[in-house]
Amino acid sequence: MSLFWFVVGQLASTETMSTSKKVITREEWEKKLNDVKIRKEDMNKLVMNFLVTEGYVEAAEKFRMESGTEPDIDLATITDRMAVKKAVQSGNVEDAIEKVNDLNPEILDTNPQLFFHLQQQRLIELIRNGKVEEALEFAQEELAPRGEENQSFLEELERTVALLAFEDVSNCPVGDLLDISQRLKTASEVNAAILTSQSHEKDPKLPSLLKMLIWAQNQLDEKAAYPRINDLSTAALEDPSI
Amino acid sequence: MPVRVLDSSPRSQISGVNQIPAIPPACTLLSVGQTFAGTQNVSSLQKDEAWRVNVRIQGCDLEHGYLCGTMEALNVPFADTPVVTFWEGEIVDIKNYTFFTGKWEATPEDDVKHWSKFQSFSPLLSQVEVDGGKSLDLSNYPFIFMRWKEQYFVNVGTDCGLTIAGFYYVCFSFSDGSINGFYYDPNSSPFQKLELKSTNEGRSGFSFSSYQLQ
Amino acid sequence: MPASAAGNRPEELCERLASVDSGVRLKALREIKNQIIGNRTKKLTYIKLGAVPRVAAIVGDDDSDAPLFVQSAAALGSFACGVDIGVKTVLKSGAFPHLIRILSNQDEKVVDASARSLRMIFQSKLAPKYDFLNRKDMDFILSLLNSVNENVTELAASIIAHSCQTGGEQKALSDEGVLQKLMNLLTGSINQRDASLDAFAAIFRNNSELISKFAGFDNGRKTLGPVVELLKDKYPRTRLLASVCLIVIGQASPCHLEELGVKTKLIPVLVELLEEPGQPGDDAPFTLANFVAGKEELQKLAFDANAVEKLCKFLRKTAVQPKRFEGLLLALSELCSKLEICRNQFHQLQVLHIVIDALKHDSTEVRSAACYCLRSITRSVKSLSAGDFTNETILVPLVQLLRDPSTSVQVAALGPLSNIAVDFTPRKAIFVQCGIVKEIIQLSKSMDSAPRLNAVWALRNLMFLSDKMGKESILIELTLSTLASLICDSEVSIQEQALGLVCNLLDGSIDSIEYAFAEDGKIIKAVARQVKNATNLEVCIQGMYVLSNIAAGNELHKEAVMDHIIPPVSSGGGTPIITSHLRSSDSRLRTASTWCIVNLTHPTSTDASDRIARLRNAGVIGQIKSMVNDPCLDVKFRVRTALEQCTTFGNAAS
Repeated sequence: MSLFWFVVGQLASTETMSTSKKVITREEWEKKLNDVKIRKEDMNKLVMNFLVTEGYVEAAEKFRMESGTEPDIDLATITDRMAVKKAVQSGNVEDAIEKVNDLNPEILDTNPQLFFHLQQQRLIELIRNGKVEEALEFAQEELAPRGEENQSFLEELERTVALLAFEDVSNCPVGDLLDISQRLKTASEVNAAILTSQSHEKDPKLPSLLKMLIWAQNQLDEKAAYPRINDLSTAALEDPSI
Repeated sequence: MPVRVLDSSPRSQISGVNQIPAIPPACTLLSVGQTFAGTQNVSSLQKDEAWRVNVRIQGCDLEHGYLCGTMEALNVPFADTPVVTFWEGEIVDIKNYTFFTGKWEATPEDDVKHWSKFQSFSPLLSQVEVDGGKSLDLSNYPFIFMRWKEQYFVNVGTDCGLTIAGFYYVCFSFSDGSINGFYYDPNSSPFQKLELKSTNEGRSGFSFSSYQLQ
Repeated sequence: MPASAAGNRPEELCERLASVDSGVRLKALREIKNQIIGNRTKKLTYIKLGAVPRVAAIVGDDDSDAPLFVQSAAALGSFACGVDIGVKTVLKSGAFPHLIRILSNQDEKVVDASARSLRMIFQSKLAPKYDFLNRKDMDFILSLLNSVNENVTELAASIIAHSCQTGGEQKALSDEGVLQKLMNLLTGSINQRDASLDAFAAIFRNNSELISKFAGFDNGRKTLGPVVELLKDKYPRTRLLASVCLIVIGQASPCHLEELGVKTKLIPVLVELLEEPGQPGDDAPFTLANFVAGKEELQKLAFDANAVEKLCKFLRKTAVQPKRFEGLLLALSELCSKLEICRNQFHQLQVLHIVIDALKHDSTEVRSAACYCLRSITRSVKSLSAGDFTNETILVPLVQLLRDPSTSVQVAALGPLSNIAVDFTPRKAIFVQCGIVKEIIQLSKSMDSAPRLNAVWALRNLMFLSDKMGKESILIELTLSTLASLICDSEVSIQEQALGLVCNLLDGSIDSIEYAFAEDGKIIKAVARQVKNATNLEVCIQGMYVLSNIAAGNELHKEAVMDHIIPPVSSGGGTPIITSHLRSSDSRLRTASTWCIVNLTHPTSTDASDRIARLRNAGVIGQIKSMVNDPCLDVKFRVRTALEQCTTFGNAAS
């Protein structure tokens, strides 16, 4: 019976909490926000970080000149990195590999998973272009030995080779490999690896800040009604719904 | 001329408060391979009864206050074969274990009641009542107090008609290697007495064997 | 393939490396580099074709231009990456000094390439060592450390991590302010940071003096704080290296780890790293094993952090890489080495069959690690008493390992076998029935002392509480003369185990004592010789227990012991060996010796009074009397027993 009373007590307390949710009006909210100081240099750094990480090299260069914000990385390396990324995105994997190796030979030598994924992408491109024989030879000579070295590679390799077994690849269970998203996936993996090798964060900071904002709003929703930002692209404050 | 060995009073060996408790001295008679034989008195109000008991020490780890072995009960009523159990012992060394059991359904009162049945315990009683004996130094005490808890039946099933729910309060004497004990189990008859003597299996002296784990 | 179609077959490319046209050379170099990066098979192909010396020639050619230097250095680095034979070939090709030379090239790209390439070489144990007590080497490393080029400072840290070994070198580096420079690298790039953590570990290893000095007045809160901070780093490799560095500090100077309060932090970091793919996850179990080895307190902490559960979980995963598999087994073996709770959990998680299967693994290291794991698991007296391990599922694969091509695996397999041999049940007979004894005895005759020791150890445990049949079957195979020679083995530890074996052999039924006298008393003579001459304490103790066991026999047995411990009157007396042992400062030897006297004067024997007289005349009883207040309780009460027995015969001396 004591348990019963305990549960009742708990229910009651949650109820009072939900009814006693604090309401913050838009005016109050804006006033509070105005009191928060953000340094301009910090904003500029965040923008620069975004441009650099995402590879907008010309914009970064311009932004540097206009705002005087120094990028935390040699801008020349961005050009190289973007060239690699573009090569993968346009299906020119061999070219991408050579470019990565010119940038830093350690990247692919010490990252077998990335190397495998690039080779896998190369195979996918051969299949896409209908070069069946070449694809088979490539799988045999270049990829099979990697599969022997690692069980999970073998499974991925088998999945990829399965593409050859279907007449209509667009409608086969492994068809997703031919999708453009597969190229993008590989491209972003290379991009991240290059950034890491340059001791740079592989993700820009701005998205994390926005994620943090959404999470914080969700937490706050349970305790208060307040002007919320629902559309991140406009960052408009919406009146609290009561 | 007969040699007289001075028997120092146990009381004088109980040292002062707050000394770092030392590991009790190893006793060769309590080392692995040693055997003991005797009886367990299982008398109840209705009947006088005792069964024969053999004990063998199988493991000993003084640093952790650990001792283990087997106990074999012969002429057990209603059992066709001797019943062998494996037990694990806690040595009351103050460092690892105190006189208070703190489990197995034994209250400090039960503990004191049972320990007090050993004469050798009387010099320690007052201090144990205060703090469970935490401030005692037993490293030079000529008796070793232990709790033996049976863990499983070795050669019979749990349906053998015997229970191992309880445990033994045990006292070992350095001077002659004798072991006395009392079985405690709220659901069994109280104060079943265990009396064991060190054996030497038809030899004219004591013999030793040992193993080393890798 | 397009590459081969264009005449890019390895043989042709190799040819072109020696072309007079530098453009052709460059193109071939670049092509080879791109083929071998990330591709082990290709590396081996080109190494076989002799490409490495040709590349080395290019890097060594003063006429080469920057692009040629960059490409050749990169290719050499790749050859040296991840393949031992590659490192060997690169070093043999003479490329090393050339790479060092171009470190001071004007072109930054060349410097980068050669520094990277050299760092690959220094990742390997085969790389040459620098001697920091040598001024020239020291100046060189300092010049690298002072470089503004990230790759070069990183190389410097790698060289230190690889080369620094002696206390003298550690001190020399510290005296030159290298620690501070490395500290600065901790705030640099990821690679600089990782390399400097590696170097720290090398400089601090086993050097508590240096650690204290570096830690300074606040016990390292300030100086070592940044390393502790890195335990929370985003990169698993950095977290691992920071852990290794702190473990090294803790092992050399435990108080500092305590002061920094990182002991409890390290365990969860390492346990979490087990989840990581790649190198950090492969190394984590080894680091964890090293950290908790022999430390019960840390094993408990690891247990509380669910380490056993996690390790077992990974063990269950199919197709674990051999290296990681080995690490998982080793970590489990350390965790289960002392605590029964860990062993219990291991059993509950039902992974024993995986460990047993690992005994048949292709990798020598995995087989050994599986043995170590089983050795820890079989340390439970509780399980041994239940006969849990005495079955063919475990014993058969273990015994097969006694014929393993690798001696270290044989030795490792004898570990769990020794433990299982203790088995307290009649099941013990399986050792004889399955021919296991035969295999073990074979190894007890090995020329190599490691398997010999472990084999004798296993036999000693097998002999423990063995029945008459068991003893007989072991002795038939072993023979008394082999046993006698093992008692006098050149290795002290083997002597000790052999004497333990004899103790167990003679214990039990009184007939067993006859073994000591068989074949003209081979055994008792060997034992007596050791008791008289051995300088090792453990050997003396075991030897005295053997004599004590014999002295528990009949009149003839007792007399034989008397003859060995008291010199005949004709020899002019002297201090009997038993008296010197009774006077030992080690209580265990005094105990063993006193037992011998107790048995010799045992009241059930008829001639006890004669022996008491003899002992008294030799001064032994006097010695015993002087021991009535021995500080060791065990000795004190045995002395009492002995003296009481003497009194019983009414002969005790005045």
